[in-house]
Amino acid sequence: MILQIVKMRLPVSVLIIICSLIFSCEPLVTKFEDIEKAEFYKAKNISSVPNDVDTVVFMTWNIRFGAGRIRWFGDCCGDRVILTENEVYENLEGLVQKIDEIKPDIIFLQEVDVESKRTGYIDQVQWLLDHTHFNYGAYASMWQAQVVPSDGLGRVNTGNAVLSRWKIIDAERIQLPLREDQDALTQYFYLRRNILKTEIEVPGLSEFCAINIHMSAFCTDDTKERQIIRLLEELNNLKDAAFVLGGDFNLIPPGSDSVDFCDEDKCPDESFHGANDDPYHKEGSYFGDEITLMQALYDEYKPALPLLKYQNNQDYYFSHSTDEAGFWDRKLDYLFSNYEWIDNSDSTHQEARSLSDHAPVTAKWRIPK
Amino acid sequence: MNINTDIKSIICLSLFTIIITVSTAAESMDVNHNWQSETAFILPQKRYEIGLFQPLRYGYSESVELSIHPIIALVMPNISLKKSLATRTDFIISSRHAMYYPTPLLRLISKEGIGGMISPEFEIPHMISLYNEIILTKPLTDSHYFTIKSGLNLAVKSSKLDERTTIDLPLIFPRLAVFYRGSGLRGGCDLTGKIFQNWKYLVDADIFYFFNTDEKFAMEHKGMILWNTSENFQISIGYKLTFCEYPFGNQWHLFPLMDIQWSRQLKIR
Repeated sequence: MILQIVKMRLPVSVLIIICSLIFSCEPLVTKFEDIEKAEFYKAKNISSVPNDVDTVVFMTWNIRFGAGRIRWFGDCCGDRVILTENEVYENLEGLVQKIDEIKPDIIFLQEVDVESKRTGYIDQVQWLLDHTHFNYGAYASMWQAQVVPSDGLGRVNTGNAVLSRWKIIDAERIQLPLREDQDALTQYFYLRRNILKTEIEVPGLSEFCAINIHMSAFCTDDTKERQIIRLLEELNNLKDAAFVLGGDFNLIPPGSDSVDFCDEDKCPDESFHGANDDPYHKEGSYFGDEITLMQALYDEYKPALPLLKYQNNQDYYFSHSTDEAGFWDRKLDYLFSNYEWIDNSDSTHQEARSLSDHAPVTAKWRIPK
Repeated sequence: MNINTDIKSIICLSLFTIIITVSTAAESMDVNHNWQSETAFILPQKRYEIGLFQPLRYGYSESVELSIHPIIALVMPNISLKKSLATRTDFIISSRHAMYYPTPLLRLISKEGIGGMISPEFEIPHMISLYNEIILTKPLTDSHYFTIKSGLNLAVKSSKLDERTTIDLPLIFPRLAVFYRGSGLRGGCDLTGKIFQNWKYLVDADIFYFFNTDEKFAMEHKGMILWNTSENFQISIGYKLTFCEYPFGNQWHLFPLMDIQWSRQLKIR
């Protein structure tokens, strides 16, 4: 009898979950249109900005949702899931200190949390705006769920942000192709990577776009290739408008000496590269099949860090590592433009090792006349 | 991050959903005062009722009604007693006393992987919720009743429950809030009545209020249409609207409701 009732009730409860998804005012997971407006932000206090500039300093930084180097379960073999508010504020203050030191004019941020449970429900876009010299912001979520019913993650809203000293007059969230190597349920609750395209009133430019991208990390299919194709399409659509593109591409540059980071990234209980190991490579740690994907960007646009310069001194430009104890071991973060950068103005701030699992990358861009 | 599909975990999540839905879904009424779990009326002696989302209710005596969510009791022991205090022609007063022990259930969903609604990094202490309320029902006409109720919810814990274990979902968040705050107030009102023949309606509103927190207030409202196909079978359908103050801000949610209920009258010796 009890078994019959259990059998009868369980499907009903699953039905309730489905109905809740369909009918609830706030769906459990937010899906996005292919192209939609991004969210706009404004600093509590607007600071003055120069109206006559020749150069603009850009920075791209994956800030790891203000988790610093805390051993979070999802990306570095850790066991932490929900951080305390104090931990997050402390890490955010570290980020602000670095930003203040470099004083970029426009920053591309990836993995910024907005009212997520794992980071004390802090709106990090607004907090960073209010604690730096930036005046305006735009945000595009890549993962927005009322609740992620896995590992106690709970409410999640994280994504890309562009912060600027000058006014952001338009901002679009452009959906990147989704991973196709996941089952439907996992895909439903999983990340939806995007491009955040903003139009900013930079003095002396009639039309200027700042474009932020954060590509897939752990896919085992051709997702990254499809995402690069989508990015190139979008850049081609800009025609004559000046743009700067920055972000975490989760791809290493062509000609990199090392393409396999399975040993660097593996957790104590994991094994790869053995005859019986399945998967053979750790997800997101092997770039052998993707080593040429960045080439199209190097061919068509101007990198802040020229490819040859990188290839001749690779360690100096590494911008990511999963292990704080080890040194940076790969370059994933880039700045590109369709106009000139100031020669040798690029910098990979490898000293910021405790602030995130990515180093901030900066460069000075010449305003085209 | 990998999220692996795990059927056992989905069942855990489903069970949790059942619990919440069971405790908040439709209630109903009848001119014989059957199907009226939320009014001050006591179920007739030896009658029992059960629904897909309703507890098993049993008329223990002419003045006492017991109820339990039987399946959920496997992971969340629970029991409720309603006692008639006064019955007059113009109003009826009862009291309800309920307790539940959510620790096993919360520990079940505190896990890695899918189904993990609470991070496994936290300890879930032993906790008991005690709820006592007064219910007053006033007949407006022969077939329409108005009910108001008010109660105090207290929680007893073996140790502190970490604030980061909250489940930020409608229906669930306000019901678990008492374990973080220690106490809370609840109140509400119901309007029930006959539409025609075997068709009836139910409209209600409930509020939750907690002290010493930024998330003080939650409200739930539902509207139901009820169809008694016989004295022992009822189908109901409707909606539930919720408002809640969460740690990240305020939210409204709207849900569909549906229930099927059965009853049986045992012989009184």
